[in-house]
Amino acid sequence: MGSQVLPQALHWIPRSSTQCIPSKRLGFSTVLSRGPFVSHGVSVSAKPIGWNLGFFVNAQVKDSFVVRAEANEEAEANESIEEEQNEAVQAQGDVVVAVEAESEDKVEEEEVKAPRKPRVKLGDIMGILNKRAVEASESERPIPDIRTGDVVEIKLEVPENRRRLSIYKGIVMSRQNAGIHTTIRIRRIIAGIGVEIVFPLYSPNIKEIKVVSHRKVRRARLYYLRDKLPRLSTFK
Amino acid sequence: MAASLASKWSRVGRSLLGGLGNNLSGLSSTSHEMASGNFLSQQQRTFIQMRTVLKVVDNSGAKTVMCIQPLKGRKVARLGDTIVASVKEAMPTGKVKKGQVVHAVVVRAAMQHGRFDGSEVRFDDNAVVLVNKAGEPTGTRVFGPVPHELRRKKHVSILTLAEHLA
Repeated sequence: MGSQVLPQALHWIPRSSTQCIPSKRLGFSTVLSRGPFVSHGVSVSAKPIGWNLGFFVNAQVKDSFVVRAEANEEAEANESIEEEQNEAVQAQGDVVVAVEAESEDKVEEEEVKAPRKPRVKLGDIMGILNKRAVEASESERPIPDIRTGDVVEIKLEVPENRRRLSIYKGIVMSRQNAGIHTTIRIRRIIAGIGVEIVFPLYSPNIKEIKVVSHRKVRRARLYYLRDKLPRLSTFK
Repeated sequence: MAASLASKWSRVGRSLLGGLGNNLSGLSSTSHEMASGNFLSQQQRTFIQMRTVLKVVDNSGAKTVMCIQPLKGRKVARLGDTIVASVKEAMPTGKVKKGQVVHAVVVRAAMQHGRFDGSEVRFDDNAVVLVNKAGEPTGTRVFGPVPHELRRKKHVSILTLAEHLA
């Protein structure tokens, strides 16, 4: 679908066909998510599709950006593209001519634009994604505050056992915090044998979590319970 | 905390490797030594392999068996796998005798077994149920909890005999 762009793109300065745009550039994705662009006969649909296909198309995508910037220099709707493309272009450290032309436009149109949001750094991405996932899960089913030493009861939907919910009761031996994969380890003596199960707290399979009681413990991880009498891990 | 996480992840990583590579049994034994030397004393529970002694939890007459070989061409066995085992201890009145070579299904393993929803299950002991070559249990009762994993492995007959489903 780069070929959709090509007829016009070929006339423009062919640049940076060897460059790769790192897919992590959030600036790029925000461009794609902004409103409808003014089309100049260059099809807009090429861009999102190109974006999904990865690096080798990105070169053509970038050409299309350049095409559009130069074609629509007078169109103020493109200030956003230019501005983002400006960063992309500058970060590549490659193009000289277009940059100068566009930076003038950028300066003029910056006052018109709303203040920019702070740039998201690479290191923050996982934290943000995790927080979003946790919030999404919390809105569907709030999780009570669970700490080591709580005796909890979990109702779990097991896909293999579709008839009714499995109930797991036991003492929380540990809680490992890892964003969306925050897990708790439940221990219980079942039919004479100690069983420990690790549950991801934000799993959609968990239908209900209830804190039944609490035992005072002076540890964050109760691994000592494995060596103790079974009586200490038994919960009716 | 970081060290315990690291050892937990290394355990998971090692269990993912299960069945691959000839150096695996060497790996598991060295990891076990390392773990006991670790000051946090995280217990590294590993696979069921040759010479592993397992408890028998049905009423077939055997008390303990020793694993000879995991089946299906595997290097090591885990929860739900079938093994070839030799009976080490048996009740005097039972269907199997000491020294007999039998097939068995692992129903409880001390090594954690990951499930598809991200949960993990582990038991306090290693236990098997004796089966015949076709996969039907030799005994008529199964004691203790058994995991859901047996359903996937098509050991439904053992599941129906079980007294508790973990």
